Amino acid sequence: MRIKLTSIMVDDQDKALRFYTQVFGFVKKHDIPVGEYRWITVVSADGHADVELSLEPNANPVGRTFQEGLLKQGIPATAFEVDDVEREYQRLKALGVVFTQEPARQGPITLAVCADTCGNLIQLYQPPSP
Amino acid sequence: MFTNEALVRLCRARDVLCEVHDRTLTIDEVAREAAMSPFHFIRRFSAVFGDTPHQVRIKARLDRARHLLVDGERSVTEICMEVGFSSHGSFSTLFARRMGVSPSEYRRRARSMIAVPGTASTHLFPACLSLMGPAFAILEKQHISRSGRVGACE
Repeated sequence: MRIKLTSIMVDDQDKALRFYTQVFGFVKKHDIPVGEYRWITVVSADGHADVELSLEPNANPVGRTFQEGLLKQGIPATAFEVDDVEREYQRLKALGVVFTQEPARQGPITLAVCADTCGNLIQLYQPPSP
Repeated sequence: MFTNEALVRLCRARDVLCEVHDRTLTIDEVAREAAMSPFHFIRRFSAVFGDTPHQVRIKARLDRARHLLVDGERSVTEICMEVGFSSHGSFSTLFARRMGVSPSEYRRRARSMIAVPGTASTHLFPACLSLMGPAFAILEKQHISRSGRVGACE
């Protein structure tokens, strides 16, 4: 058993694909139409090309309720690792991304939290230097 | 930076915008509830949600209409009124622009996908990886069909 795929719910798949590739900088891997929706996955440009993130429609009311609840409570839906959180913070801020938490140290890691414009907060974290 | 209170106010504003029954809602009213000027409200809302308040409201109305078309028995005109449109024409035009088919055609196609009446198909309202299997089945079918065509030419 391996962890190769995870997912995040998004309120609009077109908007999500734009944001996750053009703003976050991920690379599209799959984009397969399935009825009204698409099976879309992205991978990180500088990481493992076989570890995918699926951008899933939040069309099911159950999923949407969960997603909206997390956002209202300020809880990130997922977290992405970055090499330099301060640099990412400045880069994303310049692109108009909204942060609900500026980079701050928490123990050995540094965290920031931003909105992905698709109904989620995303935690960016810089792991401790080896 | 955004405070959590500002985020919560924007989330509440989105909830209000998504309540499709109230036809008379204005941006000024929603902005006031969010304790922001209309200018700041639209700017901040769009930065967090990626859409303007107006776009979110239209999407919510069309989304509600989709659910009613699939699950309910009301006529297209009744649904149009129910989701806050005053003109059947503008509702049908917006719906067709977003979904690619008219509301009545959408209803017909959607219902043909539902095996048990009253249960929405996971194709129509997917979540939690339910698209993965169908997507790869489609991909395999396309692959086989392409290979078949190549084979036929050889």
